[in-house]
Amino acid sequence: MGMLDQLLHGFSIALTPQNLLFVFVGVLAGTIIGILPGLGPMSAIALMIPIAYGMEPTSAIIMLAGVYYGAIFGGSTSSILLNAPGVAGTVATSFDGYPMALRGKAGKALAIAAISSFVGGTIGVVGLMAIAPSLASFAVSFGPTEYFALMVLGLTAVVSLGGRNLVKGLVAAVIGVMVALVGIDSQTAIVRFTFDLPELYEGVEFLIVALGVFALAEVLVMLNRRGRGGARGGVTSLRLSGGELRRITPPTLRSSVLGFFTGVLPGAGATVASFLSYSMEKKLARDGDTFGQGNPKGVAAPEAANNAAAVGSFVPLMTLGVPGSGTTAILLGALLVLGVQPGPMMLTDNPDMFWGVVASMYVGSLVLLILNLPLIPVFAKVLNTPKAVLVPLVVVFCVVGVYGLSFSVFDLGLLAAFGAIGFLMRRNDFPAAPLILGLILGGLMETSMRRALQISGGEWSVFVTEPISAGLLAVAVLSLLPAVVRALRGRRRPGPAAPAPAAEEEARDRAPTPRG
Amino acid sequence: MSGPTTEHPGGAPSGGSARRARRWNPLSPVAPERAFRFSPRTLGVAIGLFALGYLALAFQMPDYTAVSVPVQPSTLPRWLGVALLILAVLLFFQRAPEEEAPAGPAAGTAPGSGDASPAPSEAADGGAPGEEGARLGRLEDPRLETGLFVAALCVYVALFEPLGFVLSTALYLGSMTWYLGYRRHLATAAVALGLPFALYAGMTWGLGVVLPSGPLPF
Repeated sequence: MGMLDQLLHGFSIALTPQNLLFVFVGVLAGTIIGILPGLGPMSAIALMIPIAYGMEPTSAIIMLAGVYYGAIFGGSTSSILLNAPGVAGTVATSFDGYPMALRGKAGKALAIAAISSFVGGTIGVVGLMAIAPSLASFAVSFGPTEYFALMVLGLTAVVSLGGRNLVKGLVAAVIGVMVALVGIDSQTAIVRFTFDLPELYEGVEFLIVALGVFALAEVLVMLNRRGRGGARGGVTSLRLSGGELRRITPPTLRSSVLGFFTGVLPGAGATVASFLSYSMEKKLARDGDTFGQGNPKGVAAPEAANNAAAVGSFVPLMTLGVPGSGTTAILLGALLVLGVQPGPMMLTDNPDMFWGVVASMYVGSLVLLILNLPLIPVFAKVLNTPKAVLVPLVVVFCVVGVYGLSFSVFDLGLLAAFGAIGFLMRRNDFPAAPLILGLILGGLMETSMRRALQISGGEWSVFVTEPISAGLLAVAVLSLLPAVVRALRGRRRPGPAAPAPAAEEEARDRAPTPRG
Repeated sequence: MSGPTTEHPGGAPSGGSARRARRWNPLSPVAPERAFRFSPRTLGVAIGLFALGYLALAFQMPDYTAVSVPVQPSTLPRWLGVALLILAVLLFFQRAPEEEAPAGPAAGTAPGSGDASPAPSEAADGGAPGEEGARLGRLEDPRLETGLFVAALCVYVALFEPLGFVLSTALYLGSMTWYLGYRRHLATAAVALGLPFALYAGMTWGLGVVLPSGPLPF
């Protein structure tokens, strides 16, 4: 019974003219922003949040989800045409997409990208429907202890998969949590780190940080590069032959499934999924040695995988309320501002939203397909936007977004400061996603830590004696191991991987210093 | 926390420029690949100082005594400060990033060529500004250029309320687009005048978000 009815109900929500319009607007805006070199899904969502604020929560999340997969598709367009992936998730696409474009098959590559994105997205949604309800019913039993462990896991997973440098990722995560703690403490009403500035009593609005660290920092990086890295890309025929379609079908299907499950895992988002599927297909294909020289399968596989993973990453967000990636962290931040707390109860408390979003994903994939195939030549023109125009425009959009939210010039100053911080982070290879995740999870983490300790009567050992929590924390530590091993193998460093001391101390320590 | 945070970017470059001054004449332009990149040592020191300041504040924080609570408001900040300090030390002892193969040329976070060897593109980039149209800005040194850009942003923010949204944005958009080297001045003027007004109209009358109007009568 249930699911199909609920899905139909979801469609009845997603297909209202208003929401249909929002899907359309979201996908369109996401694609355009995603095409612009340098601006990825995180910047796209952050830039669109101010528009979503005035909207009804369901419509808002439907639109933002559209922005998300639109931006991923847009990123593949600039990967293929310019060899300049706007997003890490589409780097793998450029391996074969750009060679195809060089051989005059840009149109074909874009069409393959659009079709396999559609397939990946659709298979991802089916997976989301299948997994989310059972995961949510399992997660209903989670208490604050488990949630604390889960958030630690989310943070360490993003850190360990996010960059080459573990220490820098952890620094970003810790600073993110620090920013989250600014303001009046919700439990004790003690003012923390506000320097007696009343503007900071409410804490730092996450949108300011998101716009500063992503969009504004991106613009500064563009400026620092002196606007290099742009070329003219022409689009040729989009038509695919039946034989080509048949060739890309199996890789697309396989990569969709692989991508979805990769996306569900915390930390492993679209980027990991696309690289995994690319290397899998390269091994599986009989013509694997032509990968990298413009093999259509090498475009289809990562495109299917990154879209499926984008949908997959909604599973932990919607069922656990814990984002598994930087992008879903920004979405979570938006939801919290809209007054929606995603989590296991969302399915029962707010089924309209859950099923509306699921249905809108089907619709969104379809819109993406019918919007993109005919409009690809138009989108390609977006790539020619002169950077001298683009740079000040992005700044203005950031300023309007922040001011429209808080009406405070102080916050604009904060925006500039976070832009500078984000720029310095980018220039020095500090990943920005852990910072955002830390910022969004920081407050939740402290709350659940307090509740857990309240229940346990101040026993810190509760985090390691509860089986689920202990398991999650163990996975969190394990998730950092590969990075530690890599670091130790690569260079000599004064042992960052000290063996775990007393378990109790370790459990507390892990939040701020999740070192294995 | 904005205090220490904003002090952080200020702290990092000052340490860096001291180091740069040893190696190059600070007045000579630097390749974009190298601008604002600091050695792990500099970063470690900057982050360590920030962590110390943060810890000092965390230990001054009053305890909550009305009811006994297992987690004081200062508990988590103290751990975070300690954690950051440890990470800063680890960072300090990291080796400078080795030469990375230019895997993603010109794309995204193309790793700069570190500090060891002068990037070959430096001469081409700084010395011969050939494709003027493709290049953003006018100054030789990307550090100054970035500083100027941030300064312009600060001026924009400062004028935001006194001048109102439309005037300040038009001023900012027009001057920045012109400065960055877009040479179709008619298009610049159209964007600089049209967009702020359209945004203002959309936000104020469409979404009900009131932006400052400044001296303009609407």
